Amino acid sequence: MAAVQDSTVAVGAGANARPTAQGRLASIWTKHGAGYMFLLPWLVGFFGLTLGPAVASFYLSFTNFDLIRSSEWVGTANYVRIATADPKFAAAIKVTFLYVVLSVPFKLAFALLVAILLNRGIKGLTVYRAIFYLPSLLGGSVAIAVLWRQLFAGDGLINSLLAQFGIEGPSWISHPDYSLWTLVVLSVWQFGSPMIIFLAGLRQIPTDMYEAASLDGASKFRQFYKITLPLLTPVIFFNAVVQTIEAFKAFTPAFIISGGTGGPINSTLFYTLYLYQEAFGNFRMGYASALAWILVLIIGLFTAFSFLTSRYWVHYDD
Amino acid sequence: MTDATMSTGTAPPPATIGRRGPLASLLVHTALIAASIAMLYPLLWMVSASVRPEDEIFSSTSLWPSAVDISSYIRGWFGLDVSFGRFFWNSLVIAVLTVIGNVIACSLAAYAFARLRFAGRNFWFAIMLGTLMIPYHVTLIPQYVLFLDLGWVNTILPLVVPKFLASDAFFIFLMVQFFRGIPRELDEAAMMDGCGPWRIYWKIMLPLSLPVLATAAIFSFIWTWDDFFGPLIYLNDMNTYTIQLGLRTFVDSSSTSDWGGLFAMSTLSLVPVFFFFLFFQRLLIEGIATTGMKR
Amino acid sequence: MTMRMTRRNLLAGGAALLSYSMLASSALSQEGRLRVLWWGSQARADRTNKVNQLFQSENQGVSINGEFLGWSDYWPRLATQVAGRNAPDVIQMDYRYIVEYARRGALAPLDDYLGSTLNVEDFDKVQIEGGSVDGKLYGISLGANSAAMMVNAVAFEEAGVDLPTPNTTWDDMARIGAEITKAGKRKGFYGIADGSGVEPLFENWLRQRGKALFTADGKIAYDANDAAEWFAMWTAMREAEACVPPDIQALDQYTVETSPLSLGKAAASYAHSNQFVAYQGVNKDKLALNNFPLIGKDAKGGHYRKPSMFFSVSAQTQDPELGAKYVNFFVKDPKAAEILGVERGVPESAAVREQLAPTLDELGRAMLDYVSGLGALAGALPPPPPSGAGEAEFALRTVAEQVGFGQLDAKQGGETLVNEVSQILSRG
Repeated sequence: MAAVQDSTVAVGAGANARPTAQGRLASIWTKHGAGYMFLLPWLVGFFGLTLGPAVASFYLSFTNFDLIRSSEWVGTANYVRIATADPKFAAAIKVTFLYVVLSVPFKLAFALLVAILLNRGIKGLTVYRAIFYLPSLLGGSVAIAVLWRQLFAGDGLINSLLAQFGIEGPSWISHPDYSLWTLVVLSVWQFGSPMIIFLAGLRQIPTDMYEAASLDGASKFRQFYKITLPLLTPVIFFNAVVQTIEAFKAFTPAFIISGGTGGPINSTLFYTLYLYQEAFGNFRMGYASALAWILVLIIGLFTAFSFLTSRYWVHYDD
Repeated sequence: MTDATMSTGTAPPPATIGRRGPLASLLVHTALIAASIAMLYPLLWMVSASVRPEDEIFSSTSLWPSAVDISSYIRGWFGLDVSFGRFFWNSLVIAVLTVIGNVIACSLAAYAFARLRFAGRNFWFAIMLGTLMIPYHVTLIPQYVLFLDLGWVNTILPLVVPKFLASDAFFIFLMVQFFRGIPRELDEAAMMDGCGPWRIYWKIMLPLSLPVLATAAIFSFIWTWDDFFGPLIYLNDMNTYTIQLGLRTFVDSSSTSDWGGLFAMSTLSLVPVFFFFLFFQRLLIEGIATTGMKR
Repeated sequence: MTMRMTRRNLLAGGAALLSYSMLASSALSQEGRLRVLWWGSQARADRTNKVNQLFQSENQGVSINGEFLGWSDYWPRLATQVAGRNAPDVIQMDYRYIVEYARRGALAPLDDYLGSTLNVEDFDKVQIEGGSVDGKLYGISLGANSAAMMVNAVAFEEAGVDLPTPNTTWDDMARIGAEITKAGKRKGFYGIADGSGVEPLFENWLRQRGKALFTADGKIAYDANDAAEWFAMWTAMREAEACVPPDIQALDQYTVETSPLSLGKAAASYAHSNQFVAYQGVNKDKLALNNFPLIGKDAKGGHYRKPSMFFSVSAQTQDPELGAKYVNFFVKDPKAAEILGVERGVPESAAVREQLAPTLDELGRAMLDYVSGLGALAGALPPPPPSGAGEAEFALRTVAEQVGFGQLDAKQGGETLVNEVSQILSRG
């Protein structure tokens, strides 16, 4: 939220505060009550369904819970082990950061570029948009594992194409130097969601602003730079934050494509995949919970940082 | 806050606003068509795999099957104990309810965060974002216990009720960003006319944010359609299975898998989502072509 | 925006809510209702459901609720249900996981039903012990299998090489593999799959040397030299192109359709005998079963017959006796046996085996002959794997890949593996 606004509003300092006590109550109600009324479903959901399990998992991160036996308190042992004696944690962090850094910018740039192209009213717009969105419809289907092998395995399509140029490619998907790249490509291939959000954002920009600018003789590029970009910043910001969070939490692609192993040689061991292996493969739910909360902390720091810096470049209309 | 309206002081001479030349347009289309082919190749491969004879599926990368054989579709549809029509129906029910729940509940919460002033707003917003960050694998078991106590396991309630309680922080955040892009003068004008927050939400916010509501609807539908972990845990009886669970029963890594059936049904499973997308993307386009002041 | 998510606030609010999350809820099973959960294909489900109907028709008032999933979906669902105290009454179990579940008290011991409800006297005694953990019986074997080499007979013939025999040694295999690769009859085709990361194969090799994977008290039972020698053997084969290169091997996710054999990359791969039907299903060429190679001319084989999978009864069930009755029906009833065939492996009951033998098709026959014909190649069943065995298997695979891709040499690989496995086992 805009840091400019102070959330704690002094009672009675409202613009329409009246001197009578009853009036003051009413004004407090209109001031704060309405907000909570609108927030009610979310609050019920949060306290009823989300908070309990979240707190439970936080509590479990200080135990040796193994899914079946009742848990014993082990203090900070899980966290200490993660910090000092877990090489797989380091591997998972490295892979995950790489994935975030590689996939998010590519995906966003691609999505924005295509959205802007598709927003210009070219012929066959609907068809293109649908085609570009199709891959995203597949989600994390089982079929993707096979499709990706058809593309990136030793005798897959990519190597068949390279062979035309006399290049003999490795089996990309199962080579530790390249396997993560195939997951990055998968992520970029499914750029439909940020693209649609960008499109919706572009749609929200009032056309009369462009008309006015055209009358003033502003070039297309200038219009883009002066109108489109600033007005799109809230959506760019949203996509950047959310895609980063999603990339940190990515699970399904690696799970499906590496068959749950994160291989070869842990080169696709996403953080959440490691967490899953610990929880459901090795019955260490307590340890997995500690891993989860460290991830929450990392993502939280990133997000907080994004919000703090957003005031310098994100433009809201309020 | 920076001001985005153009400074009109240093206006260059008016440029001719003409259509792009045929060459430029040809270039754009060529690029788009090339990109389309790259995007679609894996999907086309899947469709062609679904009509290939079973033993040819993995042995060729060409898109043309040697013979067209639709037996995979028949076997896939009727081969399980429950016909695939049932899975389609189950998925549809869950997805439609999810769309309704998300659009209503998330837009309510988003309106509060975006437009209303109340004590603790930033705190709750931070908490809401926080819920987006927790990997679901570790909250799964406590949540399962909770739903089991409520007697909801093996029903669709655990998959649907949370949506009506705005459990999807993604959509709240998305709508907040869009609501904040709607000019505040509109609210203020409505307040002058004596509108309360409900009327503003109903009469101004929702109509003016159709693109984002359509986006939320599309995503809700598709993500629900593609979700398998939730249904895997909560739906045990095959009669209640969703499409994704149905698809996954074709594959058993320890014994035989029916790949033909998997690709055939995967192809079919794309049809409803695709039509849903086509239908709702019209709303995306219809968005506000004006400032909306004319309402 | 400030992120003020203090733990104290969260905990204060959540403390009350915590209590319900940790409470165990009552099991949902009812009188006369059995929930049975297994992993497998639709073909397996068809057979199992038929047997379930048969059991219902012979036991008035009992209704059976069968659920099945693919292997990879099976374990998270089972873990969640067991953790939520909502476990199925009868659970299909794997040799590795039975220890994990039994030691945590999730399974009901079946010893009390032996001789009354469970009539498994004609089972091979060793196989009953295979379902025992810490001296108690927790699982009834649904079929015996043994590790086996799946051989593409057509590819061998094409290359003009004789098929492996029970006496084939590793030296022979290296030579044969190189010959097949050199023959070059198929594009990108190699002699054998790279088995350096395949645990059953490594175990078989160790057993021939008089070692094992784990000791009875759950420690590592081989040393760095053993492992280094193992890796060196494969490095030599990789250099001689007797086996597939590492990036092709890494496509293998130890599933039927991703093995180098099924992918058309190698003429031989390693699996379990009860998967023979599945392997033949995805391979156009005719396959044959063979035991793993020997370490020398007069070596004793390292095989053993092990339960392919078990049925266990949940500790949370209301009626363990009914569960035991169902399991007994499943492995002993002649009509059930006829329906089930050898789809889950070779039946353990001698009577059932005799009944089925004449009815088997060629594939089933080959499987039965292989398992019962191992003879001197098969030795005693190793003790049940310790907790952490799954991770140890993972470690072998990762180190084997590191050696394969040249990140470590064989000697370093041996040391790394022994270090990692020792650490894993000490953590338990």
